[in-house]
Amino acid sequence: MSDLDDFKATYFDECSELLTELEEQFAAIEEGERGSDRLNAVFRAIHSIKGGAGAFGFSALVGFAHAYETLLDYVRDGRVELTDDVVHLCIRANDIVADHVNAAQTGEALPADYGAEEKTRFDAIARGETASDAGGEEAEADGEVIEDFDIEFTPVMVDLEAPKANGEAPVEDVFDAAPMTAAEGQWEIRFTPHRALYARANDPLLLFRELAALGEMQVRAVLGEVPPLSDFEPFAVYCAWEITLVAPDLGEDAIREVFEFVEGDCDIIIAQAGAVPGLAAAAAEPAADNTDAPASDEPDLSSLLALTEEEVAQPSEPVAPLASFAPEPAAPAVGAQDSFEEAPGLSFAALAEEIAPAPAAKAPKADTPPAATAAAKPVAAPAPAAGGDSEDNGSRSVGVQSIRVDLDKVDRVVNMVGELVITQSMLTQQMDETLRARYTELVRGLEVLAQTTRGLQDSVMAIRAQPVKSVFSRMPRLVRELASKTSKKIKLETIGENTEIDKTVIEQLSDPLTHMIRNSADHGIESPEKRLAAGKPETGTIRLSAEQAGGNILIVVEDDGAGINRERVLGLARDKGIVAPDFTPTDEQIDQLIFAPGFSTAEAVSDISGRGVGMDVVLSNIKKIGGSVHVRSWTGKGCRMTLRLPLTLAVLDVMLVKVGGGPYVVPLSSIVETMQCSRASFERVPSGGRVLQVRGEYVQVIDLAQRFDLTSQQNPDDQFVVLCEAEGNQKVALVVDDIIGQQQVVIKSLEENFESVEGIAGGTILGDGNVALIVDVQGLRTTHLRQNAA
Amino acid sequence: MEALSLRDDMSDKSAIAGQNTLQLIAFSIGEQTYGVEITTVREIRAWNGATPLPNTREFVRGVINLRGTIVPIFDLRARFGDGQTSPTKNHVVVVMSVGDKWVGILVDAVSDILTVNRDEIHNVPEGNSIDTELLNGIVTHDSRMVGLIDLHAVVSGAKMDG
Repeated sequence: MSDLDDFKATYFDECSELLTELEEQFAAIEEGERGSDRLNAVFRAIHSIKGGAGAFGFSALVGFAHAYETLLDYVRDGRVELTDDVVHLCIRANDIVADHVNAAQTGEALPADYGAEEKTRFDAIARGETASDAGGEEAEADGEVIEDFDIEFTPVMVDLEAPKANGEAPVEDVFDAAPMTAAEGQWEIRFTPHRALYARANDPLLLFRELAALGEMQVRAVLGEVPPLSDFEPFAVYCAWEITLVAPDLGEDAIREVFEFVEGDCDIIIAQAGAVPGLAAAAAEPAADNTDAPASDEPDLSSLLALTEEEVAQPSEPVAPLASFAPEPAAPAVGAQDSFEEAPGLSFAALAEEIAPAPAAKAPKADTPPAATAAAKPVAAPAPAAGGDSEDNGSRSVGVQSIRVDLDKVDRVVNMVGELVITQSMLTQQMDETLRARYTELVRGLEVLAQTTRGLQDSVMAIRAQPVKSVFSRMPRLVRELASKTSKKIKLETIGENTEIDKTVIEQLSDPLTHMIRNSADHGIESPEKRLAAGKPETGTIRLSAEQAGGNILIVVEDDGAGINRERVLGLARDKGIVAPDFTPTDEQIDQLIFAPGFSTAEAVSDISGRGVGMDVVLSNIKKIGGSVHVRSWTGKGCRMTLRLPLTLAVLDVMLVKVGGGPYVVPLSSIVETMQCSRASFERVPSGGRVLQVRGEYVQVIDLAQRFDLTSQQNPDDQFVVLCEAEGNQKVALVVDDIIGQQQVVIKSLEENFESVEGIAGGTILGDGNVALIVDVQGLRTTHLRQNAA
Repeated sequence: MEALSLRDDMSDKSAIAGQNTLQLIAFSIGEQTYGVEITTVREIRAWNGATPLPNTREFVRGVINLRGTIVPIFDLRARFGDGQTSPTKNHVVVVMSVGDKWVGILVDAVSDILTVNRDEIHNVPEGNSIDTELLNGIVTHDSRMVGLIDLHAVVSGAKMDG
């Protein structure tokens, strides 16, 4: 079932996109934009999540999403007013849906009653506002249906009796076969869906199931209009259904209500049994069209379907009820294909196609047809204008605007382009003056090559670039949760979420941002009382922004809280021995102390932050990807933390140095300064290590040649020192033989084909095709300390 | 359709071949011949230097750039405990896949492709643990011994303290 796993993976991809969209829509709704297009987008997203979840049997998710969807539907058609309370409940619901999706993805189990409270509130709101009994009844009916998802759909179907007629038989026969002995309250319903019904992701099966909840029901598929295969139009709808519903105390209104969502997208004829001339006539008409159809040479689809039905029906009587549903998946599959054209996510249509033939072949697997029909839905839901007259806002255009590509493939292209750039620069370096004079054509060719390569590199990096939105969108939830845990009022503003960064950088951004926002919410923003006393608005603001500045991305987390309490920070730092007692740092240096390892100012260790890890993690994570962090604080006014990140991880600015005759590279981001000095200026400390005095500060010396077991080829009096900054502002002095220069390199992993090597962060390929190793400054320092301690 | 059936034919043949026989790439270190299964070999290239890796055992000769990926080179002679090879341009690196990783093995020369019968693979005589650790078995070809290299064993334990 690895195919199914693939579909599942795609489903979860889509879910995360849809959840992001939900966040966005509700951010706008919270701002007061309560247009119907927003609500429709929300509805579509939830519906799609639910649909896919049904296909994969995530019953808890389906159950919750369904209840949520019902509420949204009421909101959408105005039965429930969209008050602030409802909006907040919805936002909470989004979080629960996200948790359910996450639980389904990781396979972990949430508590059985997770989200039950919210579910009850949905029902309460839905019932309370609708006032009519019918609404309440429907909600209950929904509840039953949900449970059916749990037990693989069969129970509802058992209610249905096998129709005697199959699809090929003339429709009059169907009516003869149907029990015309009119029982009390027997309804005849003819349901002819239009194409738009499928395009809007509606599913007849769900309607039938709702009907089945109303009374005893029989469903017959009317396949009279199915043309010969040669005329078969894949996107057309040929299937209709006739339903006999025995429900003594039921009014026509209650039946109509079942079809309420699909009104306008189908023809519905509802009549009390015995008084159905219109229905009989309507039914007879397509039958007449059908009479000459089987005469065609081509295999006739309806007869094919009928055949499979018979096969299914024959083996044993208990299986027979399924026969009435057997042709059904064909129709939803058609619907799915219909929207498949417009839908960006093309997976589920394929899934529907794959599963659709299954019920005929394997009748006992009763859950398969619903899976197919449910699977057909998610595709249709995001398809904006499938019906042509959809109420979608039209801002998204029809047609495939994007494709889903495996990231590995893109990475491979990025790598190869990296190689191309290196080769190109190598070629250019080979051209000396004499060659230039002699081969002007070659020179011109190389120049064009250089330009094209650069263009290619930019374009390829743009493919892998993603808006920071994918990270930013996780933050509103975080802030909500932090606000409720700390009993503060916090508003999150995001700016520039469409700024694009390389995906590899984005992946590294989530943790640091989370820590920074936690820090702002926990330590920065004051309690409402304190804020009011300080003359600030009760609600604190955290502003998260992203912008591109040259070859860097600036991510700023800014709050209007109390700012860093420098006295306390310095006091704590002295207590913990981070700052020497006789050293008086500047304000800026004190601010930076919050990034020191093991530093935490929270008076009480809260479960949000204050375990002493956090901000130093931010620094190390950011450093790891070649970025830097800067913090600036204004006492009583707020604090601003700026992350400066490289646009891409694929290219790293480095300094090329020589150690023991070979080239090594040191990331430029960790270099503070370089200097020339003699080995004689290194002082000895008792452990046997060396230190170097740099402007009054003693810094540990790490001799790379010695460390890497190489022989330095340099005169000991003529060494170079690269002063680097490791985690927590700790400096180390790397001794190298020579400094060659600065350049940009493409980082290559050593672990891909080998394993991690102590002191080496990776490799890179130089212009001459040789490998140079990247020095792991932090790692060197850590092992240095360990060795000296031992 | 023809192409399809042709491919079926071929896979049938290789399946039959795979059942009874084994194809080896044979290479030499000094006077001795060793072999690895041909399906694991990705590429054979001349020695062109490698960037030494610090903090690794002496049989790790370093890393090379193989079309943009970094591939470690193991000195088989050194792995057998006979000291490091002093490579020249005539020495050969056999690039192979071990699991999902690509590694290069530095040998003196690649000599032949051998087809041997699976039934003829002998066990490595018990005795020195290095032999049984690094060889999967022994086959005879032209009345000479060919040791079958256990690649997983060769590439393991590359770290200083490992």
